[in-house]
Amino acid sequence: MPRRSSLPVTFVVPTLVILLILSMVPTLYAIVIALQNRELSSTAYSYVWFSNFVDLFFDRRFLNAVWVSVKWEVVTVVATMAVAIGLGVLMFEVASPRLRNIYCLLFIIPVLLPRVSAAFVWKFAYHPLYGIATYPYRLLTGGLIFDPLSKPATALFAVASVDVWQWGLFFAVIVLKLLETLPPQPIEAARLDHARRWQIHAYVTLPMLKAPLISLMFVKMIESLRSFDLIYVMTRGGPGVATETLDMYAFSQGFIESGKVSYASAMAVLMMIATVITFTMLWKRVQA
Amino acid sequence: MRPGRLIGKTVLAFAGFMAVFPLLWTALNSLKNNVDIITRVPRVVFTPTLANISYIIGRDSVMTGLYNSVIACGVAVLIGVVLGLPAAYAVARYPNRWAGDIQFFVLSLRFLPPVAVAIPLMVIWLQLGLYDTLAALIVTYSLLTISVIMWLAIPAFQAVPKEVEEAAFVDGYGAYSVFWRIALPVAARSLIGAVAFSFVLVWNEFLIALMLSSSNAKTLPIVASELSQQGMNVPWGILNASVVLLSLPPLLFLGVLSGFLNSVFRQKKT
Repeated sequence: MPRRSSLPVTFVVPTLVILLILSMVPTLYAIVIALQNRELSSTAYSYVWFSNFVDLFFDRRFLNAVWVSVKWEVVTVVATMAVAIGLGVLMFEVASPRLRNIYCLLFIIPVLLPRVSAAFVWKFAYHPLYGIATYPYRLLTGGLIFDPLSKPATALFAVASVDVWQWGLFFAVIVLKLLETLPPQPIEAARLDHARRWQIHAYVTLPMLKAPLISLMFVKMIESLRSFDLIYVMTRGGPGVATETLDMYAFSQGFIESGKVSYASAMAVLMMIATVITFTMLWKRVQA
Repeated sequence: MRPGRLIGKTVLAFAGFMAVFPLLWTALNSLKNNVDIITRVPRVVFTPTLANISYIIGRDSVMTGLYNSVIACGVAVLIGVVLGLPAAYAVARYPNRWAGDIQFFVLSLRFLPPVAVAIPLMVIWLQLGLYDTLAALIVTYSLLTISVIMWLAIPAFQAVPKEVEEAAFVDGYGAYSVFWRIALPVAARSLIGAVAFSFVLVWNEFLIALMLSSSNAKTLPIVASELSQQGMNVPWGILNASVVLLSLPPLLFLGVLSGFLNSVFRQKKT
């Protein structure tokens, strides 16, 4: 590479400046709005400093939303990784190369769908009377009604299942590709020692893939933050507040119920601080 | 065949079935009259109708949504290519002490909760008089496309054998023509995958579009989600047809994206 060239500067600087402007302006402005008392219905506003944040800590619906978001994050990440590793290993073990290619293609389809589409597809499927996913239940129980989306106990899991349907199957493909990149010798050696199939994976292959699997989990944790579309279409945060995550609550406070833009922004700012700190720390650990 | 293998194959086949069946069922429902959808026992045999599909295609709101989606996503991806690819190349090939920080900064844009970006932007666009315009949407989406394309293109450029580029320098090529004539064409396959991925990402985007549009700039996902809010008398067939229309464009990239995945992991192997 030539040492003296203007290329790095002309290529990097404009892009970074634009990225900085596009990201910092809204971020800083979100903080400014959070310190005011703006409402959608009026143009007048004044600075109220931290009173929005103080109010949040006494808002039981906000605390519920924090809890729901944490549950959502844990359920979707754990289930996605479990499905991905399970199906990835299965493909590696029992599928012929041709079948593997077919499965890989099939498993990528759900993740390509717009979240809105995926949400609709499953909202129909979960319909208590006419849904295709609830049909087996109706058939077995002779017409009893099971409505997963309107029961507080099951609603979150029903929505989470759509997220896992999209990401778990996709990650299974990646786990398979990762297994295929491993050198065959350690597996052969374990086989000669009469290790069972599941033991080979539990003690040899998966530990070898620890670093990429952790990166994969990190990506899923980031993507799980984007739950809004699924929840908005499938339950709107309901029944009650059973599936009301932070972004859903911020949206309904800011735009549906009361138009309290500043209050919503205070929530968004707290979310932003929490995620940026958490993921920066995680990233540094993953890289180290 | 051992029973374990048989169970494994069955589980896999079931998973493969689950991956596509809900979507196929939706496509089938889009060809049904309402009476054939609202049945306690799912109907596989029915008289197909094109009424739902022609209704969707004939609706102005759907066509406007489609137009808005194509323009907003197309232009944002174009901006992402023009600004993201050169920057990615520079980071990949001219590493300096900030390269790691730049990469982390680009990734960290993905941590930002969409609500945290959308609320202030809505206020800003309102004040500038650009709320509910495609221009506002394009600028907002560019943040997404530039950062995603950059993030995926850095490893793609790093995978280009250095010797090829060095040989070009020896032949008297300048830094810029090496980028144009050597790096871009050699990395093209992976780069197309990265660009396709960014397109799918913004095409599927919902929250920002929902908050930045009220009537003129609605994208297809927003229009589709509104169709479902027409009271209890849900036009199931029409809704299914709109889901199919919304899902088709990303699926067109299935081939490109699975090829991209393959090439990423083939590089790792060597």
